[in-house]
Amino acid sequence: MSLKDLISPFFVWQRAFEKPYTVGLKPIVERPGAPAYRGFHINMSDDCVGCGSCFTICQNHAIDMVKVDGLEAHGGDSGLRPRFDYGRCCWCGLCVDICTAGSLRMTNEYAWFTTNPDDFRFVAGMENKSWDGRTGGYHRHPDYHLFPPKRIEMEMLAPEESVASFTEVAKGYTEEQAKLEADRCVECGICVATCPAHMDVPDYIHSIRDGDYEKGLQLMYRTNPFPATCGRICTRRCESVCPVGIQGEPVAIRWLKRFIVDQVAEADYARILPNVEADTGKRIAIVGAGPGGLSAAYYLRLKGHAVEVFESQAQAGGMLRYGVPSYRLPDPALDKDIEHIRSLGVEIHFNHSIGRDTAFSDLLDNYDAVFVSTGLNVPSQMRIQGEDHPRVMDGLKLLDDVANGKDPQIGTSVAVIGGGNVAMDAARVSRRLGAEVTVLYRRRIEDMPADTEEIHEAQAEGCIFVTQAIPVEALNAAQSDQVTLKWGEAEMLQDPKGGRPRPVLQEERMHLDTFDTVVSAIGQGSNLDYIPTEISDQLQIKWGKFIPGDYQQMVLNKLFVGGDVANATADAISAIEDGHHAARGIHRFLDTGQRG
Amino acid sequence: MNTVDEILDYAIDQEQQAADFYADMAKRAEKGGMKEIFLEFSAEEERHRDKLLNVKQGDQELHANQAVINLKISDYLVDVEPHENISYQDALIVAMKRERAAFRLYSDMAEKVTEPALQDVFLGLAKEEAKHKLFFESEYDERVLKDN
Repeated sequence: MSLKDLISPFFVWQRAFEKPYTVGLKPIVERPGAPAYRGFHINMSDDCVGCGSCFTICQNHAIDMVKVDGLEAHGGDSGLRPRFDYGRCCWCGLCVDICTAGSLRMTNEYAWFTTNPDDFRFVAGMENKSWDGRTGGYHRHPDYHLFPPKRIEMEMLAPEESVASFTEVAKGYTEEQAKLEADRCVECGICVATCPAHMDVPDYIHSIRDGDYEKGLQLMYRTNPFPATCGRICTRRCESVCPVGIQGEPVAIRWLKRFIVDQVAEADYARILPNVEADTGKRIAIVGAGPGGLSAAYYLRLKGHAVEVFESQAQAGGMLRYGVPSYRLPDPALDKDIEHIRSLGVEIHFNHSIGRDTAFSDLLDNYDAVFVSTGLNVPSQMRIQGEDHPRVMDGLKLLDDVANGKDPQIGTSVAVIGGGNVAMDAARVSRRLGAEVTVLYRRRIEDMPADTEEIHEAQAEGCIFVTQAIPVEALNAAQSDQVTLKWGEAEMLQDPKGGRPRPVLQEERMHLDTFDTVVSAIGQGSNLDYIPTEISDQLQIKWGKFIPGDYQQMVLNKLFVGGDVANATADAISAIEDGHHAARGIHRFLDTGQRG
Repeated sequence: MNTVDEILDYAIDQEQQAADFYADMAKRAEKGGMKEIFLEFSAEEERHRDKLLNVKQGDQELHANQAVINLKISDYLVDVEPHENISYQDALIVAMKRERAAFRLYSDMAEKVTEPALQDVFLGLAKEEAKHKLFFESEYDERVLKDN
């Protein structure tokens, strides 16, 4: 070994106390990522709905969905945002490919220097990063989807065929169609939060993929004993928030629910669904055999309570039977739901009116708890001159007549006043009875509270819509079996407080049109006259509706309420949830004596 | 009524009468929840009375020229007689009609008087009643004409 070889290692000590530095230029300045490089993530947080599809698909568990300060969950947004862990990420881009909202993409930035390893876990879009605002990098091509953006179309009767009878318009999915549609679900669960009954949508849709329809039925009955009904006529708020619908069409949740129920014979329900628990010795009275009342009856009966339902009509179902026409909800589908509830031992007293046949106070005296769900069954009057004309009738009466097999004698030209679901049902029923139908509505099509699908189907079936039309008087027509309607055009006025625009009558633009029948369907109210004043004075009631406390309980401990007569949404699924919620409250009250 | 104070006293008395009318309806109402509704109506009329008292004392002003939307809902509704079992819809009609009648009375009076100061007071009162009518008509539009 030479002397130089021996000494040279000690030369490095001459730089031991110098500040280290890098020789030459940093190569990353000179070499940006390729245009479609899969670099660091950007999430447009305002567009993201926190569906968690990125979290689900990530094979490296590099994404967590986390709560972010200042961001609250609300309809259609979980309030969560994806947090990336770059210690795990392999930059495969699957998270970008699956992103339902299209909010997630990758930049072509790939260099990040930090001395803190925890920095490499970050919530994209919620923390400032040097690559924010970069436009390059990997974006999902707009035509490339991991799931088909279009839903599997439900086969429907053609309009000319549908108006010829009361046959159900929607034919239902085949198994192949249902599986294809089920495959579009990303199982995010945002629908669960939005559904009033919090149905376990992702799991029952998953049961279709597995072909396990009995499991699907079990999942549905956990929170909803009317799946055959809701599978046909639900207002499907779940679909309105389905993130698959942001860049395509929402998953057809309602039709998939119907598919599952249609696959299981009613005879198998007893084997598949839960049985009644041991008798508790408690008796519960329920007023009204609509969806709210029977939902409460089902869940209370399962707990072993004796349940008696008092129904003023000859059949159960309430507005589902007497207000929803059979082309939307055939009796066999409704009966399938109701018969299972009855099969558990729920007793229904038909043609039994509380207030007339039994005093309301007797229910409170003789039962351990009372649940009231009497609905909105009193049509609002137009209160215009001539409304008592014999050729003016209300929409509920028309629907009730048809449901009972009576001919309402509407003639061949009908005007329907209103823009809600009852108005659409009255219009479409009138078409099926052979009438030419004109729908007059005070506001615009987009203001109509009716389901958009119902509006489109009414139009397809030939109903003529005259919007911004305000009826002011019903007059005798030249022929005694007709009525002349005086109506005026309206101008829409923006509500300065931000509500829906208000129509204002233009008195110089009046019209006279003659019809065989004018059907009024402008809204419904409740009838609480069966509750004596000395009791109702103790209750909180506003605008004809009960104001319940927690668990649907009123100030009288024994009294629980629900359904259209106690909620603002007035649809079947909300009534079903009210019934379920009240059942939990009643069981808790009877079990522990605790108020809700 | 020859002076501004006399006119205001009349208007204040009318508001008080309206408040008493609704308070009486609240006592007689049999339908669940209607007592509270009438008590709310009565309290609203008392607020109107108090505003006019403030005007009389010079603490507030009436605005004869302010624009108030006329939804014209009550113009084409039939009259409803108040009764013990009255519904919310009919109670609103009663209220709208009363405000409309007051509006028309003050508007007519404004046309009849010649003194500009008195005319201004009547027009200001008419506008107040138009606002009250709009309040009840908006309520009717929201709650009764839900599907229309």
